[in-house]
Amino acid sequence: MGKPHEGFLDPRDELTTGQILLKKEVNDLGYTAIVNGTIYSASNRPDVPFRMPKGTILIENGTIKAVGERVDIPEGSEVIDVAGSIVTPGLFDAHCHIGIYEDGATDAGNDTNESSDPVTAEVRALDAINPRDVAFKDAIAAGVTCVQTDPGSANIIGGQTVVMKTWGSSVADELMIKFPSGMKGALGENPKRVYSGQDKMPKTRMGNAAVMRRALVQAQDYLRKKELAVDKPDKQPDFDLSKEALACVIRKEIPLRVHCHRADDILTAIRIAKEFDIDISLEHCTEGDKVLESVRASGFPVTMGPCLTDKSKLEVKDIGFAAPVALSKAGVKLALITDHPVFPIQYLRLSAGLAIREGMDEDFALLSITRFPAEIAGVSDRVGSIEPGKDADLAVWTKDPFEYDSKVLYTFIEGKRVYEATNGSKIGGENL
Amino acid sequence: MNETIVITNATIYPISSPRIENGVLTVHKGKIQQVGQDLPIPEGAYVIDAKGKVLLPGFVDAHTHIGIWGEWYGQPEYDGNEGSNPVTPGVRAIDSIWPAHFAFEDARSGGVTCVQITPGSGNVIGGETVVVKTWGTICDDMIVRNPAGMKAALGENPKGSYGSRGKAPKTRMGIASILRNALFKARDYSRKLEAGRQDPSKMPDTDLDMLSLIKVLNREIPLRVHAHRADDIVTAIRIAEEFDIDYSIEHCTDGIEIAEFLGAKKARVNVGPSMWARAKIETLNITPKTPGVLSKAGCHVSIISDHPFHPIQYLSTTAATAWANGMPEEDALRAITLTPAETLGVQDRVGSLEAGKDADFGIWTGHPFKIRSRVEAVFIEGHKVLG
Repeated sequence: MGKPHEGFLDPRDELTTGQILLKKEVNDLGYTAIVNGTIYSASNRPDVPFRMPKGTILIENGTIKAVGERVDIPEGSEVIDVAGSIVTPGLFDAHCHIGIYEDGATDAGNDTNESSDPVTAEVRALDAINPRDVAFKDAIAAGVTCVQTDPGSANIIGGQTVVMKTWGSSVADELMIKFPSGMKGALGENPKRVYSGQDKMPKTRMGNAAVMRRALVQAQDYLRKKELAVDKPDKQPDFDLSKEALACVIRKEIPLRVHCHRADDILTAIRIAKEFDIDISLEHCTEGDKVLESVRASGFPVTMGPCLTDKSKLEVKDIGFAAPVALSKAGVKLALITDHPVFPIQYLRLSAGLAIREGMDEDFALLSITRFPAEIAGVSDRVGSIEPGKDADLAVWTKDPFEYDSKVLYTFIEGKRVYEATNGSKIGGENL
Repeated sequence: MNETIVITNATIYPISSPRIENGVLTVHKGKIQQVGQDLPIPEGAYVIDAKGKVLLPGFVDAHTHIGIWGEWYGQPEYDGNEGSNPVTPGVRAIDSIWPAHFAFEDARSGGVTCVQITPGSGNVIGGETVVVKTWGTICDDMIVRNPAGMKAALGENPKGSYGSRGKAPKTRMGIASILRNALFKARDYSRKLEAGRQDPSKMPDTDLDMLSLIKVLNREIPLRVHAHRADDIVTAIRIAEEFDIDYSIEHCTDGIEIAEFLGAKKARVNVGPSMWARAKIETLNITPKTPGVLSKAGCHVSIISDHPFHPIQYLSTTAATAWANGMPEEDALRAITLTPAETLGVQDRVGSLEAGKDADFGIWTGHPFKIRSRVEAVFIEGHKVLG
């Protein structure tokens, strides 16, 4: 981690959140022990219970060293007593536009869609991240410690996605923990609308699919030519940035992350994935419940949301919680997402809470904003659950994190206490 | 439909009076007859045992665009802004409403039974608002109050709508002058009408726009002014006071910055949508703390969805979030029931569970500020419309 967000504190912080700490104020001791909290580990390791009524998390140099009901605390450790609180993994939003679609910055800060061509595999979300996007503060104060930022859905092939922490540096490269983490794809209304407006292909759903296939075929041909010319430098094809980027998908190094709301678009995504033998994730998957068996049988993971937004277009006319609940019951691996700024990132946990209200299992709901998104984004070796060896990214809550009046007491990122509630930020939720 | 319905064994929040445990609510011919404990059950009544569940008034959303905004229907169903002229007081929201629009069902699914539907904020003066129930097929039969206000807008939206077309207003001062001009013109027209009543030869031609606007000058209806930024809120009040007209502040996003000023005026503020990104410069200071700070300062605070900008079925989620961020429970419940009813001038019919009011209520599995609580049944004027 590099330099802190300099000047991150402004006079309004006291009003809107607790204290977001600058690096110089953060404890850099070797060991930190978080004791007496109720721990929801979200872990699937046999030696780490999913829930512990009272336990200790020992952190060494930013990494979880031990977690359990009995943990030896080395002398000299900083001990933080969180009795009465609940500790969860830092929350993970697997599909959002934080940093590239800057909150409150209007068009000047919107770098979401390079909509000059329907295939822009070579563009990289990382190159558009502004770590000073004010939404990072909202994320930290709401316990969201890791995000995947995607290019938008205007293009059939939209560019490379990035996974990053929400705190730690003014340098995007130092926030980043995985790049590329995927290639954005899109089907359905958005590319049709954008390119119809420019009188270009695609104008239809069949056009969408054709543009996607053509791009993948061209990447395959490029790879084939490169392989044929391995020992013949004079026969090498010219370096093609776009095809190099898509080749990562062809070689199954990263998945294509396909925006698909409507049932037919979901099926098109699965169809193309099988044709090309590539990995995909189904992004949004709003009508996934209507083709439940196809989604389940495909084995592809799903990111769902934003569930609390308006029915702004035909492909989201049935948006809500019925689909994520049905998919969860069918055992599909899914992450609930905010699609920030479409729904503000600080309310990620409320999406999970409302999913529980509508019938999602409590453990599944917790997983859908912690370990599952980490697995889907390909970074579960580092984040997503509380277990030895993982980054010490944690959220400490005053109560059940799904409740409206639950508050973040502390957010830890890589062992650093980067957010601490002030008295003002704890106000609210009386009398029930 | 049975003419008499009795809900027994309910935890009742009448809003206008303290909570009642093991409460009974009796309904006759669509009106609330009695609310209390140990009430006799009329013979032949249809009895619903609430089994300890929570009974609340149907929610009232003081600022929505349901039934007039396209949403997924798109442009053919979009009738929200008559963006052909910055001053259109003569248009009426009632004439845009499509009762079959799915947004009404969404409203009922969240326990919302009464809404104000307003024209959008593209125009400086946008037209007449209307208060309707959220269930019905004939819009005229759904009306609770019409007109219920005159929509006006300050700030970015009218600037954006007209400035981009090379027309006035292009600036905030331009907006204010257009608003003042229209009100002065209505005042003149009112004088001419008076002269015409004395001397028919002096009767001016009928001007529907001016006839609508005169209702504001006569305080028959308030001006409902879209204002996010603090300076826009202050401008709205400056102009309202110049003309001695009634007003409500719609959105009031920056209200938190000028809470004392608004509290001293006991301003009627319709706050929201709060669970929103900072989509515009004028909403930079959006925070769920605003409703609580303003209610503590003495304002009459309603919490609004501004549907479709926040989906109306999550109105109680917004109120719960305001409560979780410092608004007293009583104020937050009131902000989606009795306070909006008062702000809309329909408190004789809706907003609380009291004898004589419409039988509009929801039965909840628990307190609506608990996230696992859901509304199981909704009644409008004694008709079960959900559940």
